[in-house]
Amino acid sequence: MGLIRKRWTPEEADEWTREDVMAWVLSPLSYLLLSVGSALSLFLIPSGFLLLAAGISITFFLFYTIDPKLKAISSEYEKKQKGYLERLERITRWEEE
Amino acid sequence: MVQFAFLDWFWLVLFVLLMTLSGVFFYRLGKRSQADFFLAGRGLPWWLPASSVYATHTATDTPIWIGGVVYKYGLAGLWYAFFSAWCAISAFSSTRIFRRSLAYTQAEWQSLRFSGLGAELLRGWFAGWQVFMNMFILGWVGIAMGKVCHFLFGWPPWVGLAFFSSLVAVYVLSAGYWGVVVADFQQGIIAFFMIVLTSIWAVVAAGGPRTITAKIASIGQAWRLNPFHFTGTFSGDFPLAWFLTMVVIAVLGGFGMGTSIDWYVEAQRIQSSRTVRDASYSIWWGTALVLIRNSFWAAAIIAFFSLFPHLKNPQEYEMAWYVIGFKTLPVGLVGFFFASILAIHFSTISTHLNLGAMYFTRDIFQHYIKPDASEKTLVQVGRITTLILLLGSFFYGLMMEELTRWLIFALWIMAAGIWLPNILQVIWWRFNSWGYLAAWISNLGLSWLVVWVLPEFKIIPSLPDYLQFWLLMVLGALIYIPVTLLTPPEDMDHLVKFYVMSRPYGFWGPVRREAIFRGLIGEV
Repeated sequence: MGLIRKRWTPEEADEWTREDVMAWVLSPLSYLLLSVGSALSLFLIPSGFLLLAAGISITFFLFYTIDPKLKAISSEYEKKQKGYLERLERITRWEEE
Repeated sequence: MVQFAFLDWFWLVLFVLLMTLSGVFFYRLGKRSQADFFLAGRGLPWWLPASSVYATHTATDTPIWIGGVVYKYGLAGLWYAFFSAWCAISAFSSTRIFRRSLAYTQAEWQSLRFSGLGAELLRGWFAGWQVFMNMFILGWVGIAMGKVCHFLFGWPPWVGLAFFSSLVAVYVLSAGYWGVVVADFQQGIIAFFMIVLTSIWAVVAAGGPRTITAKIASIGQAWRLNPFHFTGTFSGDFPLAWFLTMVVIAVLGGFGMGTSIDWYVEAQRIQSSRTVRDASYSIWWGTALVLIRNSFWAAAIIAFFSLFPHLKNPQEYEMAWYVIGFKTLPVGLVGFFFASILAIHFSTISTHLNLGAMYFTRDIFQHYIKPDASEKTLVQVGRITTLILLLGSFFYGLMMEELTRWLIFALWIMAAGIWLPNILQVIWWRFNSWGYLAAWISNLGLSWLVVWVLPEFKIIPSLPDYLQFWLLMVLGALIYIPVTLLTPPEDMDHLVKFYVMSRPYGFWGPVRREAIFRGLIGEV
């Protein structure tokens, strides 16, 4: 198995895994680099372009890492959603505790 | 005073018509059900709520605020607005949990996470607080527009407040969240385009990037181009300790829910997304746009600084972005610039009109007043509440400026004491409704003590805000942790249902084992 997992069973996708932890690390880093990189690039400061390029690369890697898992979670969850919505209505209408 | 040419008026009128008609166009969709009026039927692709997150968090007072901190602290001032980075974590953690709960609101989520009387008290408190908060924000943002119009056209402030907020109400009343999100999409594009254009224009008008950096260096202010320039580790009014506190609050806060006043806006966008994946991407990309927008604004403010480096009065430099736009853009584009100001104003007002109405309709009217209400009645109540929020915001915006200042401060303090409980409610199965209620109540008392009473009597020194945060967090925990442990845990049946549906992370061992034992989830 490679570093990034591409195929998920519904049960596996429901668990919190290494891919999620990677997203938690990469995501704020991406924000920081995009934010600082774009501000400095507007003044043609070379380090700004480097930071911006790093930010864009990390953003791509972030979505490459997490997207297969999010797709698996979504498709599985959509099958159960109708039942959950009915329960939500019952709670709001005091028909279920 | 600003003079508009024909082309300026043309852009302005075209834009206002476009916004209002989009509401009318989606009237039929909005009136179908409560889920349509408040969540656009839970079927939106990620880019629509993403543009709405971006547009909503771009308000008329945002460039004033960013202008103030960047003029004062240079590019390091960007960190003042970096708090929204909580979405970096949330998009891939708490957003997923909240989307899976399907709760309309954060108030409703309380009755899924907790059970019994404690859950109902929390739901009622959140709902009432959010109805008030949305009216407060409407008044606050509305009067900012009144002041911009007074600055531009000499109108009395109430005209700008009442006229433009009423225009927004036309499409919010017609189509509910459908109108909000479709208009936000258009407004987001217009606003982003004009922010980029105006900022580049400002940099060029100030002589270009190289001239600006040379000019700033020549007056010994090169540090302004260093985003990591602080006034010291602990000293000065912008120390490294403040920065680190902000990063911790923002990034770790993303694992929880209700980390700031922003969460409630995001929560509605999360639930309006058609899948868990769409919800995650809407929050991530909406916030990414917010942060990149800040960088463009910062460039414009640095350009402004290079032209006017000696301004001391905040009222002069806080308006920098508006001054640049109206003074340097050519005829035709000035009208487009004002249209973009309207765009950022409309998007914020529309969101809070619909959001406040949702908390009242779903969590107060339907849950406590008329549980068997039909979908038609719920939409009608949503419309009536929208109208009441609009009228309330007029009075609020015109009459309570002093209170607004106090409330902004109070919100910061409130965030300090409940920051950790907001995380604990997601990550720790044993944290119960009584602990969470204790956190809210004790924080109100503790914040008064730490911020005002104890310094006044010289018992403790007056602390910088980042130290207040840590102190309030520790003192609050000394109350709500014992309360949690001395009161019974939530009902296990209720917790198991919540766990199976939402699959939270953290310390959920006993609940997870029970869910496996009951055969509701499999072991991986």
